[in-house]
Amino acid sequence: MQKALAGLRRINLEGLRWRVFDAKGQVLGRLASQVATVVQGKDKPTYAPNRDDGDMCIVLNAKDICVTGRKLKNKVYYWHTGYIGHLKERTLKEQMERDPTEAIRKAVLRMLPRNKLRDDRDRKLRIFPGSEHPFGDRPLEPYVMPPRRVRELRPRVRRAMIREQKKAEMQQSNKDMRKNRKKEVEAEVTA
Amino acid sequence: MTRIRRGYIARRRRTKMRLFVSSFRGAHSRLSRTITQQKIRALVSAHRDRDRKKRDFRRLWITRINAVIRGNLVSYSYSRLIYNLYKAQLVLNRKILAQIAISNRNCLYMISNEIIK
Repeated sequence: MQKALAGLRRINLEGLRWRVFDAKGQVLGRLASQVATVVQGKDKPTYAPNRDDGDMCIVLNAKDICVTGRKLKNKVYYWHTGYIGHLKERTLKEQMERDPTEAIRKAVLRMLPRNKLRDDRDRKLRIFPGSEHPFGDRPLEPYVMPPRRVRELRPRVRRAMIREQKKAEMQQSNKDMRKNRKKEVEAEVTA
Repeated sequence: MTRIRRGYIARRRRTKMRLFVSSFRGAHSRLSRTITQQKIRALVSAHRDRDRKKRDFRRLWITRINAVIRGNLVSYSYSRLIYNLYKAQLVLNRKILAQIAISNRNCLYMISNEIIK
């Protein structure tokens, strides 16, 4: 929380809006793409490539971000420490356990152009794992994601989903049966 | 043969160059040899960038128009706008469209709505 307020003095906050992104149920890359456009200021008609005019972006519910496919296990973040042979790696699952905000931050930072304004834009990004944030007194504006055409599920994935739904239903009905039996047994015992 | 000195010829030439680079930083406006080099570089950059300027500004206008058009929340984009403009045979160029986008956003929305039909 303390870190969230850090560096606010360095940004010239006049005329900047505070946009709030809700990451609950959003796909990681698609959300990061929108955040990157807003942070660059590319949704304003007064965009200029030589100065940084992006809005302050607050991302909430970072731990509820979704990814498609098997990326939770298979997406690996690599980085090299500079020492020979020290190529480190970490899967998305581990990263989300350690610090879910870092996944979104890396995604957005790697979508920004690599120039001198990148660090200033990083300072305008504030990401929180839950939905509490210390900026309650500012004039916040929720960001509405642009409409997107979601393609329909592939047959194999759809069959897997149907199978899981059926399993869930079977378990539910089993629990109900057991509850009914328990109630019957109790009723017999009391009677 | 008598000995001939060059006199003031070189100095006259170099003062003209010095006037050109008078606002450059450090040694680039003080030392004669660097002055000649920097003047050549400056003129080369100016020549190259006069063509670049046309490209750069067109890029900027396109980005700005795109920014305003996408803010309408109907999954519209700059490419669709230009396609509709050409279909409707409107000859507004990107410079004017960008100016309209900055000064009078509603006007641009009205134009785009008219063209979509």
